[in-house]
Amino acid sequence: MGNYIFWIILKRLRVPFLVIIITFTIAILGLKLIPGVDNAGHEYHLSFFDAFYFVSYMASTIGFGESPYDFTYPQRIWVSVMIYTTVIGWFYGVGAIVALIQDEALKKEIYRQKFQKHIQRLREPFYIILGYNSITKSIINRLNGCGFRVVVLDKNEEAIDTLILENFYPPVPSFVGDATSQHMLKLAGIHSKYCKGVISLFENDMTNSKIAVITKLLNKKIDIIVKATSQQQIEHFQSLNLQHIKNPFQIISQRIYYGIVAPHIWLLEMWMYGHVLKLRKRDYLPKGRYILCGTGRMGQAIKYGLQKAGVEYVEYDLNAKAYQKKNNTSVFGSQEDIDILLELGVKESSAIIAATKDDLLNLTLLSKAKQLNHDIFTIARENSLDELNIFQAAKVNRIYVIEKILADTTYNYIARPLADLFIHEARKRDDAWAQVIVNLLNNISGMNPKYYEKKINSDGAYALSNRLEKQETITLGDIRRSRENNKELLHIVYLLLKRGDEVFLVPDSSMPLEIDDELLIVADEENYNDFEYIINNYYELEYALEYHKKKLRSSSQ
Amino acid sequence: MNTYKIVSGSFIILAMTVNFGFFYGDPTVLIQHNEYELFAAIVINLITTVLKLGDKTQLGAVLLSTSIVADIQLIASATVWTIAEYMLHDTSVGTTTAIVSLSGGALIANIVSVVLYMGDTLKSKR
Repeated sequence: MGNYIFWIILKRLRVPFLVIIITFTIAILGLKLIPGVDNAGHEYHLSFFDAFYFVSYMASTIGFGESPYDFTYPQRIWVSVMIYTTVIGWFYGVGAIVALIQDEALKKEIYRQKFQKHIQRLREPFYIILGYNSITKSIINRLNGCGFRVVVLDKNEEAIDTLILENFYPPVPSFVGDATSQHMLKLAGIHSKYCKGVISLFENDMTNSKIAVITKLLNKKIDIIVKATSQQQIEHFQSLNLQHIKNPFQIISQRIYYGIVAPHIWLLEMWMYGHVLKLRKRDYLPKGRYILCGTGRMGQAIKYGLQKAGVEYVEYDLNAKAYQKKNNTSVFGSQEDIDILLELGVKESSAIIAATKDDLLNLTLLSKAKQLNHDIFTIARENSLDELNIFQAAKVNRIYVIEKILADTTYNYIARPLADLFIHEARKRDDAWAQVIVNLLNNISGMNPKYYEKKINSDGAYALSNRLEKQETITLGDIRRSRENNKELLHIVYLLLKRGDEVFLVPDSSMPLEIDDELLIVADEENYNDFEYIINNYYELEYALEYHKKKLRSSSQ
Repeated sequence: MNTYKIVSGSFIILAMTVNFGFFYGDPTVLIQHNEYELFAAIVINLITTVLKLGDKTQLGAVLLSTSIVADIQLIASATVWTIAEYMLHDTSVGTTTAIVSLSGGALIANIVSVVLYMGDTLKSKR
């Protein structure tokens, strides 16, 4: 009997029920025993039914009048005493029920049960997101769009209320609860076979590590996506054998590194996150001298990136809190500040990075630098999404929004694992290779191609997987034929093929396919639709393969 | 010792004894079955039911269900009596038997309840 609500109600209703039963019994017995007089003047006693009928409408204050005959005075005296007893008993009972409905504990219990049922009914893979804020909101929006479900836990009741008002579709079950409690994680379905992972991107590293440990102990099989901002923390997580650790500062550092050293690799990565597949003039990071303002967690990470890239740089130890304490403001630009900037060599430098915790400080620092040196390239760290417009209006050359980076990379990791893998592999190559790839993609699919992930199995490629099962040899090139004319090529590029643990970057056309291969395909929407037709429809596939057979025949003759 | 246990225990037994008091007698003769006793049986059974509410254990649930059965049987018996007397004006042997045998069913439910209650008491160590 797991139905807690039912038992809570029953237990609370015990006293009100007893009061009603006892007062009714006394009233009914009294009416039954006291003699009355009928219309003809004979003495009579009310039957139990008459008495029950009268008391029922007396106690509930309905009051139809005296029945079956007018009452005598002894009866009326009894009734007037009993009115007060039964009516009070009745009101007490009703009041107790109403109070029970409004009871916080009961409400919470009902909500908990709804939440639990909702999770038990989930029949799609889902992720548990801990904490609701603008980062997780954007992750939820994107995950909902691609077949994943999301469950949210947050300690803060207001956050959950905002989530409910958001009206996500498909609905997002949410519950107010401490994410670091294992009881809550169990409630959120961590043991469910549909649970794919837990996402914990709290600001506080300690919270994240607590959650990671608990999650790891509760369920070894699921993914844990966790944020870590210090090297120590990352090592701790690695010792726990966590698959995915998110360090926004490291990501920024890597982007700056590749931006300087290998802009085409940088471009390929940014394109995966929605950038145009073309390097514009403003996308190049300058190669000259850098000024790095701020030596916190992000400053340290960027420093590492700059060192690796072999760029000359100076550091300025700017701490947002200390600055505010000293000057009572976050607005950068006093004479003293300008002197510092000049001393750092702002006029000779080609780029300046503002990496403090304070958005206003970053912004004013960069605008001051721009005043002193009009050609300087400005890079800003932006901590919360709300102020993005201000930064864009201030014409900062490059803005790194921590929240957006976290949301983007988490989403790609979950929903586009091949794209993530591709970036990882591409980074091992050099810029020349990346440039060839970019040119290839531009030639075949234009400046703004999309990418798709496809698994070759009976769900995703019905016709193709069927023929592969019959031991037919079909190569990547064979299915890359136009549907209108099979002598022509379909305009798609195979960027990556994943077979088990093996990864083939830009696989060759002559490579034979196998079942359960995963493909990362670049194409525009129209060509990709054609590709879908070919691999799913027998006739389309036959037509595409005909070209290959003809070629074989002509070569054997 | 616990006052609540004494009260609920005595009501469980009382529900059975009063029920028996009404049931005892020739089932064809209505005079031998007192209406006050039926009223008392219904009230005491209702109180017993309420006292059993909220016990989440398996035994608690079974005890509650026996009480609910007894309530239904006794209220049915009273309803048959009321309908027979006021609407049909028929207090023949047939209706009398129906009234008494319905309360007999309730008696069995009450006996089951008491047996379970005693078993639980004997089973507990203290």
